[in-house]
Formats: sequence, structure tokens, C-alpha cells
Amino acid sequence: MSLDLTFIGQIVVFLTLVFLMRKYLYGPMAELMEARSNKIAEGLAAADAGKEAFANAQAEIAEQLAEARTKAVEIIAAAEKRAAELSEESVARARNEAEGIIDSAREEVHAELNRARQTLRSEVAGIAMMAAESVVEAELDASRHSALIEGIVSKGFGNA
Amino acid sequence: MGLADTSHGEGGIAGHLQYWTLKIDESNPFMQIHLDTMLVSIVVAAGLFIFALWLKCRLVEGAPSGAQNFMESVVGFIDTTVKDNFPVHNPLIAPLAFTVFVFIALINTIDILPAFLLGNIAHLFGVEHFRPVPTNDLNLPAAMAVSVFILVLYYEFKLKPAHFLKELVMEPFTSLVPVYLRPFVMPINLILKLVEEVAKPLSLSFRLFGNMFAGEVIFLLIAFLLLGGGAIGMAAGFFVGVAWTIFHLFIGILQAFIFMILTVVYLSIAHQPVEH
Repeated sequence: MSLDLTFIGQIVVFLTLVFLMRKYLYGPMAELMEARSNKIAEGLAAADAGKEAFANAQAEIAEQLAEARTKAVEIIAAAEKRAAELSEESVARARNEAEGIIDSAREEVHAELNRARQTLRSEVAGIAMMAAESVVEAELDASRHSALIEGIVSKGFGNA
Repeated sequence: MGLADTSHGEGGIAGHLQYWTLKIDESNPFMQIHLDTMLVSIVVAAGLFIFALWLKCRLVEGAPSGAQNFMESVVGFIDTTVKDNFPVHNPLIAPLAFTVFVFIALINTIDILPAFLLGNIAHLFGVEHFRPVPTNDLNLPAAMAVSVFILVLYYEFKLKPAHFLKELVMEPFTSLVPVYLRPFVMPINLILKLVEEVAKPLSLSFRLFGNMFAGEVIFLLIAFLLLGGGAIGMAAGFFVGVAWTIFHLFIGILQAFIFMILTVVYLSIAHQPVEH
């Protein structure tokens, strides 16, 4: 049970084994495990970054969607306003045109009326002359019949 | 078991506690070497080295399996233990703790082989005495404990030489006595401190040696019960033997763990930064 040369031998065996284990078993395995845990950590970080990017993208999409919706509402409102304006404009224009048409028609009617009146006047004068001639032929009494002719003529234009 | 006849005769248990010894100088008890201890420890170390080379070629970076998985859990466990205890990173400590744990655990596990198996195999080759478990030989635990102790001293001197020397002569009594008495208590401090330091490798080696030695003695007692107690003795010996084997396997691994954790703790104390 006492110490002897085996003690020295065992120190050599032990220290050699420590050296060999460090170089060939523990070292490579620790390196490998470290590399693996780094890789896993990187993967997790990448996953987190991806998740964050996804969330950002979603937020951006929602923002853009909301913006687009607001813009669409604005555009629709503008279009509706423009349409209302256009329809008002066209109604006004139509009304103006109609008024123009009515005015010109009225003027035309007026002119036609004047023309007719003129024609009628000349015709009535002719008729009066004829009537006068026939009256003269029968009995020419200027003093008596001038009043009659006047009456006929003014009767012919009485309403003009 | 036909091995009983050779086992019983020569002085009972004491006969089985002889080493296969090569005496270099008969007059000097130090000048001898235990061939069985050297042989078994070198075989285990070589086996471990071959296993390391084999595993190194098969290491995969992806999901580990089989032997790599098992060794990774051992490496991970030791790495965590070392990291928990160490204030600074030292690349030597974890491999050292790993070697201590694996080497001792493997050697202790040899103890669960049937008590006379390796001894009788050695008899076939003409070896009279053969102790199969090197941790039962004080030389191995002492060699490991002293190696660790030398490392502890090395780091104490390297990392905080002034503090260590101061502690050697100034603790624990200097601050308790008047200044003029201090030179007189310094030798006492030194003696106490030396005892404290030397107790570390002593307790480390004797703990392992004592546990494993006692375990082997109990195995031998059980074996004698098994072989010499008739039918009842054999039955009782068998069951007690199986129970003790399981228990001893646990003790072996536990002792390896204790040796490893104390190694780490002693070295971590040497690495602790000086408090002012």
C-alpha cells in the first residue's frame, strides 16, 4: 500500500492521457459543439430577423392598404363631385340652349307674324280697293263712303 | 465457479490483495513497480485513446447519434461544471476534468467484473498475483491527486504569487495578535497552511483509494461467501453480489465525479481573483 515507482509511472500515464484527450477527444468535440451552438444561435437569430421583417412587411402592407383606401375614397369623392358638376353644367347648357331655341323661335314667329300682317295689310287694301271700286261703280259718294273704307281698313288691321 | 480452489488457499483475502510486482531494488521499497496497475491503466488509457481516434473520424456536425451523442452529453456536463465554477477561462481545465472523470469512471467500472476473473486469467499466464483495478492501488489516485496539486500550486504562483506567499505566513493568526508578536506566529501560520494544502491531495487520493479498496474487499468477502458457504451461501452470495455490484458501480461513478469536481474546485480557488 506504499507508494513506489508505479506512482511516477501513473503520473506519466495520467498526464499523457490528459494531453491526448485534450487533443483528440475533448478539443474536437468541444469545438464541434461550440460551432453547432453558434450555428443554432445564428439560425434562431435569422429566424427572429425573418419574423421581424415579416411583421414589418405586414405593417407596411396594412399602411399602404389604408393609404390606398383613403386615396380611393378621395378619388371617388372627387369623381362624384366632378360628375355632379358636369351634370349641372350640362343641364345649365341645355337650359341655355333651350332658351336660345325658344327665343329664336319666338323671334321667328314674330317676324312671320309681321310678314303675315304686312301681306294681309296689302291684301286687305286690295280688297278694299276692289270693294271701293265696286261701290264706286255703284254709287260714288266720297263723303259717304270714305268712312266706310276707313272702317273696313281699320277693321282689317284692328287687331294688329 | 471452478476458480475457488486457487482463491481460498493462500491466506484468504490478504492473498488477493497482493500486487504483481517487479522489484528493481530489494532493499528499497520505493524501487518497485506494480505491473498490474501499470498494465491495466495503460490498457484503459490506450482504449480511450483509440476510442477518441475512432470517434474523431466519425464526428458529424449535424444531429449527433450513438457514441457521439453520449460523449457530447459527458463533454457538455463537464463543460457546464467547469464554467459554473471558474471565474476565468482556462482551456486546460475542462479537458483535465474530463480525463479525470472518464479515466476514473472506466477504471472503477472494471471492479464490477467477477472478483477473480482477471486474476485467474493472469494465473493462466503464470502471474501469481494480479489486482485488476488500478484505483485500488494508492499509486494511481495519488499520482492524479499530486498532478492536480502541482497544477494548483503552479496556478497559485503564476496568477497571484504575492498573495499566495502572504497567505502562507500571515493567515490565520497574524491579524489577531499585536504587531510585536507577529514574527512569532508566522511559523505557526506556515505549518497550519502547509497542513491545509497537503490535506488536499491526501484527502483526494485517499478518498478514491479507500472507497475502491473497501469495495474490492467486500467483493472478495462476497466471493468467499459464494464459493464456500454451500447452497444457501451460494444463493445468498449471488444476490448480495449482484446488489453490491450495482451499488459499487454507482460508487465508482460517484467517486469519479467527486474527484473531478474537487479537481475543478481546487483549481478554481487557485484562479479566484485576489480580494482587497
